[in-house]
Amino acid sequence: MTDISANHTGLQGTSSDVVAAGLPRRNRKQSLVKTFGILAIGFAFLMLFILVGSLVLTGYKAFTQTHVTLDVFIDPEAVPADKLPRGGFNDVLASALISHFSDVDMTSRTEVRAATKILSNGAQFALRDQVVANPGLIGQTVTLTVPVSDTYDQLNKDLIDRDTPEQNRLLSNAEIARFDILKDAGMITKPLNTGLITNADSRFPELAGLRGALVGSFWALLVCFVISFPLGIGSAIYLEEFAPKNKISDFIEVNINNLAAVPSVVFGLLALAVFIGWFGMPRSAPIVGGMTLALMTMPTIIIATRAALKAVPPSIREAAMGVGASQQQVVFHHVLPLAMPGILTGTIIGLAQALGETAPLLLIGMNAFITSAPDSPFQAATALPTQIFIWADSPERGFVSRTSAAILVLLAFLITMNAIAIFLRNKFERKW
Amino acid sequence: MNDMRPLERMVNTDNIKISARNCHVFYGDTQAIKDVNVDIEDHTVTAFIGPSGCGKSTFLRCLNRMNDTIDICRVKGTFLIDGADIYDKSVDPVQLRAKVGMVFQKPNPFPKSIYDNVAYGPKIHGMARTKAELDEIVERSLRRGAIWNEVKDRLHAPGTGLSGGQQQRLCIARAVATNPEVLLMDEPCSALDPIATAQVEELIDELRAQFTVVIVTHSMQQAARVSQKTAFFHLGNLVEFGETGQIFTSPQDPRTESYITGRIG
Amino acid sequence: METHMTQEPHIARVFDRDLEAVQAIIMKMGGLVEDAILGASEALTARDEELAAKVRKNDAQIDALEDQVNTEAARVLALRAPAAGDLRTVLTVMKISANLERIGDYAKNMGKRTGVLAQMPAVDGTDGSLRRMAKAVQLMLKDVLDAYISRDAELAEDVRQRDREVDQMYNAIFREYLTHMLEDPRNITPCMHLHFIAKNIERMGDHVTSIAEQVIYLVTGEFPDEDRPKEDSTSFAGVDGTP
Repeated sequence: MTDISANHTGLQGTSSDVVAAGLPRRNRKQSLVKTFGILAIGFAFLMLFILVGSLVLTGYKAFTQTHVTLDVFIDPEAVPADKLPRGGFNDVLASALISHFSDVDMTSRTEVRAATKILSNGAQFALRDQVVANPGLIGQTVTLTVPVSDTYDQLNKDLIDRDTPEQNRLLSNAEIARFDILKDAGMITKPLNTGLITNADSRFPELAGLRGALVGSFWALLVCFVISFPLGIGSAIYLEEFAPKNKISDFIEVNINNLAAVPSVVFGLLALAVFIGWFGMPRSAPIVGGMTLALMTMPTIIIATRAALKAVPPSIREAAMGVGASQQQVVFHHVLPLAMPGILTGTIIGLAQALGETAPLLLIGMNAFITSAPDSPFQAATALPTQIFIWADSPERGFVSRTSAAILVLLAFLITMNAIAIFLRNKFERKW
Repeated sequence: MNDMRPLERMVNTDNIKISARNCHVFYGDTQAIKDVNVDIEDHTVTAFIGPSGCGKSTFLRCLNRMNDTIDICRVKGTFLIDGADIYDKSVDPVQLRAKVGMVFQKPNPFPKSIYDNVAYGPKIHGMARTKAELDEIVERSLRRGAIWNEVKDRLHAPGTGLSGGQQQRLCIARAVATNPEVLLMDEPCSALDPIATAQVEELIDELRAQFTVVIVTHSMQQAARVSQKTAFFHLGNLVEFGETGQIFTSPQDPRTESYITGRIG
Repeated sequence: METHMTQEPHIARVFDRDLEAVQAIIMKMGGLVEDAILGASEALTARDEELAAKVRKNDAQIDALEDQVNTEAARVLALRAPAAGDLRTVLTVMKISANLERIGDYAKNMGKRTGVLAQMPAVDGTDGSLRRMAKAVQLMLKDVLDAYISRDAELAEDVRQRDREVDQMYNAIFREYLTHMLEDPRNITPCMHLHFIAKNIERMGDHVTSIAEQVIYLVTGEFPDEDRPKEDSTSFAGVDGTP
């Protein structure tokens, strides 16, 4: 003690000089580290900006859809009331459309077919559904707004350049001229594309929507949550609070940590072999998808729950034990409620991960082409990420922007889930 | 001086509440307590002092079997409370801890209301059949904890919102709510300021009338102030055990002398 | 200066320095008081008024040291909250300094009376026994201070027993003075003064005994049993000098 004070005064002058000499170098290093950090963050932000920006730029056009509004006379000859739901709906639509064009010969089937390409393939089904629902419409004139086909949608969104030489263009001059007639007549509108959410998948981009994928993802996530949440929390509580600390529990802990790092495609293979191969569960069904995702989410939930349980201060456990609470009471009365925000956060983040997971779903066949939303988790369905995968694979140009739009929808869901997690954490986090 | 003082200080040496015989405690391979024998008297404040790691807290935690929760901890020897072996197979630690309350180093109220903090013990042990009975237990306990007047208007405010000293008295109220016979205190004032410490010490002296109090403390002055008997632990041994005044004026063992006079030892 | 019976130094070394400082004052006081006893007894024998005046003057120094001891002891009590051996050190230091101060007062009183006695005819054969008695007390004081330094309870107990001899000397002197006064009434005034001096020396012995008891308490933690040697029987003495 005294030695320090003895030497101290003698060194003071020189030591401060030494410190001063070294200062510029130290400050330089510090600012270097700071600059590097700022650059790294800036780079990350730039990349994120580019990604989201390109998605928005390509995707935003898919949020609107070109429609044409037609006054359709439902000719009782073409659509006999006693043959519903069958009938010449296409012919009815064709005559309604072609009445606007002077250059089309109504008797030439080829010319009629070419001209009616303006309308989406789905237009006749929209009309059919309307008539089937209300057969009284036969013989009357109805005003019908139907999507135009993908090529004309592209044209309307200026994705087809009118200055391109005709032979390199998807649409001939005559076709463009006919579209312009409709446009000049004020029959062309471009409303918000609700079909993107409310329609199921389709071969035709103008009709394709995410409904099937959204419902499929919902079922899969529900199954995933119902399985992984109680199982994950249960195993975490057992491992953290009740299991004896020995070689076996160490081994289990290491394996759970490893399980969280296993590539998701492996889980897909496992599910394919076990759930579908051995148990004979339906292929492409959200129940299988959910169970597969549950396998992946469970380690995440277990790890998050154990971390949350560990974060509860031991003083609370001691306090409860000190007044004579049993181990089970300590856990369920005190530790678990305090750990709940952390557990929920971990669970939501796990589910968000599961929502974005593609590979295992591909393996169990959730990339099938299914044109209706599933009513139960046992029906075949797609999920959001697999739907994106399907669309990205499709050759039609309309799917390019729809793929981006679907990615934006998926990102919106992920951000919402993470926001909920942050909200829960901030709201229920206890200070002690 | 007052003639009552020596009388007040006198302890009834016939009434042994806790008796420990040939006690050894091991953490894995290290021995934390070596052959400790001690008799703790009823209605007495007994202080355990000693340097860090001397085993005083370990020994305290043997008295309500808190060490049971530590996997690597082994306890040997006989611990008797009222002549009954607390490590007997027929004794459930939960039942024991209702009888032997504990107050911890850091005030650790549950993050619940003041009322729920105190009512928790009686609730889980089924001590109150009606809400009115529970109310009564809560009030009595808070009064015993000398904090009733400060919190009676805000029983449903969170216990964690109180000051440190109030929190610790709330913890004492919580500990006495299950009507224990013994109160163990593990450095109850180490996180408190001097005024709060004085209040808790005064409370400890009052509690002596109803409970057998065993207190572990790092502060020798605190041991001197609140206890009637003092035990000095060193390296797992019980070096000296005797009347507090005697320990602090003329200890018999040179190790005790070294420790309480602040010498290296 | 080694004043500690205990093994190691304190963790707070300044505590050691405080305790050593206050004990050093005690030793200094002890030295001054020893000198005062010797000086007073020498002045008496030689009827040396100058030396007697010096003894009287030096007492102020002893009183000042006692104040200093009290201040230092209060400081240590307040700041260090001493316990066990340290507590006993501080307690004994306060008592010992009070005892030494009283002894100093008695020496001063001897000096005063020496001034008066110098104006009177000597009483034959009285000075020798007084000087022997003073010497015995001064030796006791020296031994008890040694016992204090070396924390030697046995030596302190020995000093305590030696007070018996001082008491016996005083009894003898008491009877001797009675005889002188009965023989010749002119001796009454000097003998009264001489008797007071003898009583003072006897009281010094009692204070030394008290210091010895403090040393025993300091070392053992217990006061010696109350079989305190009391050979001063003059309280029961009649005019004929026999108890």
